[in-house]
Amino acid sequence: MDRYQRQTILPEVGTSGQQKLKSSGVLVVGAGGLGCAILPYLVSAGVGRIGIVDGDRVEESNLHRQILYNENSIGGLKVEAAQKVLQRMNSTAQLEIIPEFLSTENVDNLVEAFDLIVDATDNLEVRYVLDEACCRKKKAMIYGSIYRFQGQVSVFNYNGGPSYSSLFPKEDKPLLNCEEAGALGTTVGIIGMLQANEALKIILGIGEVLSGKLLIYNTLTNDQKVFEFEDVPPPIKPKISTSFEMITVADAVLGESVLLDVRELMEMPQVKLTNSIQIPLSVLERESDNLDKSAELRIFCQSGVRSRKAAELLFQKGFQKLKLVGGGAKDFLTEDG
Amino acid sequence: MITLKYFGNIAEVAQSDFETLNVDSISLAELLEMLDSKYAVGQFPFQIAVNRKIVSKQKDLNILDSDEVALLPPFAGG
Repeated sequence: MDRYQRQTILPEVGTSGQQKLKSSGVLVVGAGGLGCAILPYLVSAGVGRIGIVDGDRVEESNLHRQILYNENSIGGLKVEAAQKVLQRMNSTAQLEIIPEFLSTENVDNLVEAFDLIVDATDNLEVRYVLDEACCRKKKAMIYGSIYRFQGQVSVFNYNGGPSYSSLFPKEDKPLLNCEEAGALGTTVGIIGMLQANEALKIILGIGEVLSGKLLIYNTLTNDQKVFEFEDVPPPIKPKISTSFEMITVADAVLGESVLLDVRELMEMPQVKLTNSIQIPLSVLERESDNLDKSAELRIFCQSGVRSRKAAELLFQKGFQKLKLVGGGAKDFLTEDG
Repeated sequence: MITLKYFGNIAEVAQSDFETLNVDSISLAELLEMLDSKYAVGQFPFQIAVNRKIVSKQKDLNILDSDEVALLPPFAGG
C-alpha cells in the first residue's frame, strides 16, 4: 500500500478508503478531452475497475486537448490508446475497454456493470440516453461539459437526487460541441478534474457531493458559481409498461408456465405447485438472472401489490411475457382444494 | 436594479456576461419575453436561476430590485 501512502495518510481516506477505491467500478463514457483528464486520476488513485466507452478514433485535431494520445495514436481506437497509457500508470487497474459508441442498445448492460458513471461525452443525445439508464438503474452520473472557456459540473441521480433531464428537459434546439465551438485543453482538463474529484468523493463518502447543484466555471475569469436546483421537477420516471395482463388463479394453474411467488419465504399460506417457484421481491433483482427471459411468468403475492412491483422490475430487466395473477396466494389453496 | 447573468452561447448572443436592468419589478414571463425579443434566446435550451436558485421558466414569479437572474444553457463540449 506504499504506493497510496500519501493519500491514505489523509484521515478522510485511510486504508479503508483505499479499499473502497480498490473495490469500486467506474464507467467513463467518452475518451475525449474530459475522459483524458478524468481517467489518469481515477487509475492512479487506485480505482479497481474502470470501463472506458468510446467508438472514436484519434485524429490529429484531438491532440491539443486529449492528452492520453500522441502522434503515433492517430487513426487508432481511442480506447486502445488510452488503455495502453493507463495500464502503464497502474498495472493493478482492471481496465475494460468498450470500442463502441454508447447507444440504447448497449447502455443498460454497461451502466448495470459499474457502481458509478462518469459522463464525459460531447453529445446531448448520448447524454440523455445515459441519464435515462442511470435513472433506471439508480446509478449516480457525474456530468461535465464545456462551452468554449466555460464548464459545467453536476452529479445526477445521486441517492434519488435530480436527473439531467429534470434540469435540462429534452429540447430540439441546436448546441455546439468542441469540434464546432473550439476549446482549450486546459478547460476540459479543469472540468474533467472536477468530475474525477466528485467520483473520488462519492466512492470515499467524503465532502459534499454536487447533487442538486450545477457548478459553472469560467476559466477566463476564474469565476465559479454554484446554482441550486429549487423546484426542478423530480427525475422523470423510466418508461415502463404498467399494463400487464391479469389472469385468474384458475387460468394461472393451467398449462406449463412458471408461477412466480414473490412473497417472503415464511409467509403463509405456502403455495407449492409443480410449476411454482418462490423468489421474494426483496431478492428478485439479484435472482432474476437465473430466470428464462423468454418464458412466460405468472406472478403472484399476497395482495397484488408486490406482484405488480415484481412485474415492473422484471420488465425493466427485459422479461417480455409477464402476467399478474388476480387475487393472492390464498386463492391458490381454494383452487387446489 | 436587476442583474442579468449570461452563460455559454447565451453570453455570446448577448455579447456580454451580464447586464443590468433598471426596473423595480418585472414578472419572470415578461423578462423572458423581453430577452427573447432582444437576443432571440428562445432559440436555445436554457434554465433560469433567480438568486442562484434554479426555478422553472413557467414559474409565476416577480423579479424584484437587486435580484440576480442567470440564464443557464446546457453545454455540449467534452
